[in-house]
Amino acid sequence: MTATRIVGRSLPRMDAPGKVTGTAIYAADFALPGMLHGRVLRSRDPHGRLVQIDASRAARVRGVRAVLTAADVADVRYGGSVKDEEVFARDRVRFAGQPLAAVAATSPEAAAEALAAIEVAVEPLPPIVDVTDALAAGAPLVHEGWASYAALPILHRDGNVCNRARIVVGDVERGFEEADRIFEHRFVTRSVHQGYTEPRAAVAQWDSAGQVTVWSNTQLPFEIQSTLSEILQVPVSKVRVVVPGVGGGFGGKLRVGVEHFAALLARKTGRAVKVMTTSEEELTAAYARQPAIVELKTGVTTDGRLLAREGRLWFDTGAFAGSGPGVASVATLMLAGPYRIPHLLLEGYAVYTNKTNFGSFRAPSGPQANFAVESQMDIIADALHLDPLDFRLRNIVREGEEGPTGQVLTAVGLEECLRKVADAIGWKDRRPAPGRGKGIACGWWTTTGGSSGVYVKINPDGTVALNTGAAEIGTAALTGAAQVLAEDLGVELADINVVSADTLSTPFDFGAQGSRTAFAVGNACRAAVADLKRQVIALGARQLGVDESALELRDGAVVAPAEGKRATLAELARISQASGGGLIAHGTFVAPPTPYDAKRVEGHVYPVFHSPSFHAHAVDLSVDADTGEVTIHRYVVAQDVGFAMNPTYIEGQIEGGVAQGLGQALSEEIVYDAGRVLNANLTDYKMPTAVDVPRIESILVQHPSLVGPFGAKGVGEPPNIEPPAAVANAVASATGVRITSLPITAEKVALALRERER
Amino acid sequence: MHFEYHEPTSVREAVELGARFGADGRFLAGGTDLLIQMRRGQLRPRHVVSLHRVPGLDAIDVDGAVTLGALVTHRRLEREPSFRGALQALIEGAEVVGGHQIRNVATVGGNIVNASPAADVAPVLLALDAEVTCLGPGGERSLPLEAFASAPGVTARRPDELLTRARFARLPPHSATAFLKAGRRRAMEISLVCVAARVTLDASRERCLDVRIVLGAVAPTAMRARAAELGLRGQPLTAQALREAGRAAAGECRPISDVRASARYRALLVATLVERALARCGERIRQAA
Amino acid sequence: MGKLALSLTINGESHDVLVEPHRTLLDVLRTDLGLTGTKENCLDAECGVCTLLLDGMAVNACIVLAVQCRDRTVVTIEGLAVGAELHPLQRAFIDAGAVQCGYCIPGMILAARAYLDENPTPSEAEVREALAGNLCRCTGYQKIVDAVMRAAGAPAAAR
Repeated sequence: MTATRIVGRSLPRMDAPGKVTGTAIYAADFALPGMLHGRVLRSRDPHGRLVQIDASRAARVRGVRAVLTAADVADVRYGGSVKDEEVFARDRVRFAGQPLAAVAATSPEAAAEALAAIEVAVEPLPPIVDVTDALAAGAPLVHEGWASYAALPILHRDGNVCNRARIVVGDVERGFEEADRIFEHRFVTRSVHQGYTEPRAAVAQWDSAGQVTVWSNTQLPFEIQSTLSEILQVPVSKVRVVVPGVGGGFGGKLRVGVEHFAALLARKTGRAVKVMTTSEEELTAAYARQPAIVELKTGVTTDGRLLAREGRLWFDTGAFAGSGPGVASVATLMLAGPYRIPHLLLEGYAVYTNKTNFGSFRAPSGPQANFAVESQMDIIADALHLDPLDFRLRNIVREGEEGPTGQVLTAVGLEECLRKVADAIGWKDRRPAPGRGKGIACGWWTTTGGSSGVYVKINPDGTVALNTGAAEIGTAALTGAAQVLAEDLGVELADINVVSADTLSTPFDFGAQGSRTAFAVGNACRAAVADLKRQVIALGARQLGVDESALELRDGAVVAPAEGKRATLAELARISQASGGGLIAHGTFVAPPTPYDAKRVEGHVYPVFHSPSFHAHAVDLSVDADTGEVTIHRYVVAQDVGFAMNPTYIEGQIEGGVAQGLGQALSEEIVYDAGRVLNANLTDYKMPTAVDVPRIESILVQHPSLVGPFGAKGVGEPPNIEPPAAVANAVASATGVRITSLPITAEKVALALRERER
Repeated sequence: MHFEYHEPTSVREAVELGARFGADGRFLAGGTDLLIQMRRGQLRPRHVVSLHRVPGLDAIDVDGAVTLGALVTHRRLEREPSFRGALQALIEGAEVVGGHQIRNVATVGGNIVNASPAADVAPVLLALDAEVTCLGPGGERSLPLEAFASAPGVTARRPDELLTRARFARLPPHSATAFLKAGRRRAMEISLVCVAARVTLDASRERCLDVRIVLGAVAPTAMRARAAELGLRGQPLTAQALREAGRAAAGECRPISDVRASARYRALLVATLVERALARCGERIRQAA
Repeated sequence: MGKLALSLTINGESHDVLVEPHRTLLDVLRTDLGLTGTKENCLDAECGVCTLLLDGMAVNACIVLAVQCRDRTVVTIEGLAVGAELHPLQRAFIDAGAVQCGYCIPGMILAARAYLDENPTPSEAEVREALAGNLCRCTGYQKIVDAVMRAAGAPAAAR
């Protein structure tokens, strides 16, 4: 590969100065003069008939400017894959936390007082508290009218199942017949919250032309725009979504959450309205990770070859489908693991229950499926008396082989990742002391597709404006994209200014999701530069009186080395502004389709992993035999990132993703009892602190992808996938006790150790 | 959360305001519990009497008996040099409460008056046989800390009284204390179980002359494990004796199951933490010798 | 009860405000004074994003009443840089790559500032302990801790 000047270097992110001085404005900080405060009344009951809702007393509370219930809004059902959601419960409440009404008032206190004054009568019904309940014979339907809802035609829906995605390869029964040993296990995971430090927030204001502007910390401004258009029953062009700073998203800020309430209240009052969530709302009524049950049946030969796997993963999607059908689809690819298995029958289910609509959290489905797959790999290795690393190396996918749905895999850096983490952690000494053990886990993940557009404009002073529809949610993806732009255009990173995420003025972007932003926006920048190069070289040739073929673009200028002539980008931009409207290009990118075998999939909205990444994690930990407490000594990640666009921020993604993953592995869970959350506050929802997270060692492996800018692959989500499995395997190695449910709390470990003593 | 705000500048003025408002008023010290409960609507006092300008309540006095003013913060406790050594448990109990931001403002008095069964400093004070002093319109009265809290949030303090200090005798020679807690995280935790222990050995440092074992978060209030204490008195501090003390304490605690932990795990933690806290006391006495 | 007039000294400037007694310092800073560098999240003193310095001490502004701050000094993130000259901690956070979404960063920097004032040469473990009251969900804390250690290595005069 040719040497690069800008991309590939650990340059400081462009938005850092504003963030360290407190001048960066986030949606939660955003305010307009005379703005009202909106609050949402939420159901206390997980399930029931909504008999009556009386807001008359609330409307009379001093300072209250509007109260809205289902009677005040259009009766529309919306949703990405199944249109089953409604703004407010109309005649039935389906989860504790479901919106019943919203108020706007001149102060937060008045809004809170008004909420308390709304009288609600609910006739309780027995709640469907989990997947087992929902799938029981004769279980009541969460949505009696499910069949009438508009939905993606590809989905396989049936009653409380809002999608069943399936992969079938070979003949799994034959595979089991040929197997020497068959292993069957069941794994359970709990819901965990993304834990962004900035609550979801939106401010909405309507103008006299009937256009609403919504300032929101969404990851997907264009999706919010179209959803608001449905809910508000106005054309898309009448909805403008602008994203100020975003204080973390991790998938939790993909779907409409507060924006519609702000917009509806603002329309009703004619004033700007702000709605921001509380911690309680976040933990009861947001898009946390789906709880899952996974059953895996795997057939192997005695010498450790995987022959067949039947796997089923049931997601509790909550009261609405939301991301569930898609995440259930992705889960099937994750159940295959990064392994060569000739016979597969893999199913992912999204199942309705009376809980919040669980959503997408960093590598959705990844940690749940990987926890099951990689735990079972270790169980099998132990049973066959094989080293878990050797067992994996015997079965991993390699360059040119097929993925589970028939896609041809390229740039497969998995073996290198596994060997490097094993070396780094000192794998040969797997049980260095009593109560101490090491664990390993590996996986694969996608770089989500979708399209991105950018406008790139050269300013008359030679600086460059990068105008993108993608939002910067903290990953430094837009710094990465700007590095690509600076590299290709021959300018410095400091010459670039980024304008982002305004649906009125920025080009379309599929959004900051799925590890795609730097990848896709970076590629769109490359396309824009290719166009700009043509423009500046044509203009330069005319200005300098040389042939276009004699010119090259470098150091902020077009240069004809042989003739000793030169015109700077600044000069050319000024000339172009005077004569031709300026130097501007529209660059676009959409991930090319990845061919696969369509006969292998059903009900599948995500049949391939584009430009897949591969990774391995290793952990060295001790377990206190009396208290069950886990102490992590070392944690090493080797991730095939394709090409490291900015190593510092890739390490940042790995360190943060592992920290979040360790939370899911060891301490975090949203605890439900009969449909109600018991720990809806940050006292009892246990995110790791600075003393809980160990130092994380990152090894960046680089097998360049064919599609990504300079060979990059998506990097943001993968680090969140393997921690639960790696920890479970290390705990088993340290203690001999296998924990098959998350989180692996000290309590579970201690009680399991006691059980074994009996 | 509407109230009238008062800012007395003397203990006397504070007590007068307390007497005037009675149950309608609340004293505000660090605010780490009160303001959160008020924001959540769990408490709605009509008068809030802030103590931050009241002088004389934030002293640590170690001449003779040890006196802790009610407004001594947790950060002060954990950094008090004279507690290093025999009173180490006070440092250990204080330094595991919240983060620095909390400990900079949260007070000893607040910890005692709030009467959370999971409080961390109060069990240490119990293990030190502390007494607390309340000042009201009728004057001052002192009572044993053990008799102060009777249920979560319920204490012997009358609404018109201000808790002014906690006080305990200095420890005899060959004494040590230790505090241990278990939580799901290593910081920012409410104890699943906490244990404060105090041991005094005889001059030969072999037998246990006196012992206190206090358990937190396993009963409606912090509680002494009397059976465990009794079993150790006069005994050598052998590994076997410590284990039995742990087992005895686990037998007498009355934990509940809640979102944080099961009763069974809490009892198991009591056994382990009691054994370890006592062992730590033993080590500390030996090291000091 | 009505509003109270009070004068608050924030970042060396005095501000006259008229507030009801229940208003927190956090709310008054953000709503009345437009100082939104002090962030809002849990309001339960659990997350630390609202950390600022009150008389030089790190506190959670969500559990401090504005009226309690009469005649006391408040320093927020907006008061750390001197003109265009960043504070060494701010510089270090940028240079160490410690900033991602950035929402926790003002609180982190101020908690670190208070701790370095107390202990200018801390160990990594001490820094982690000092920052335990500040949740970060992006960074895994590593580069934040690195940044504080880097700033601690800066000349004392600059701190």
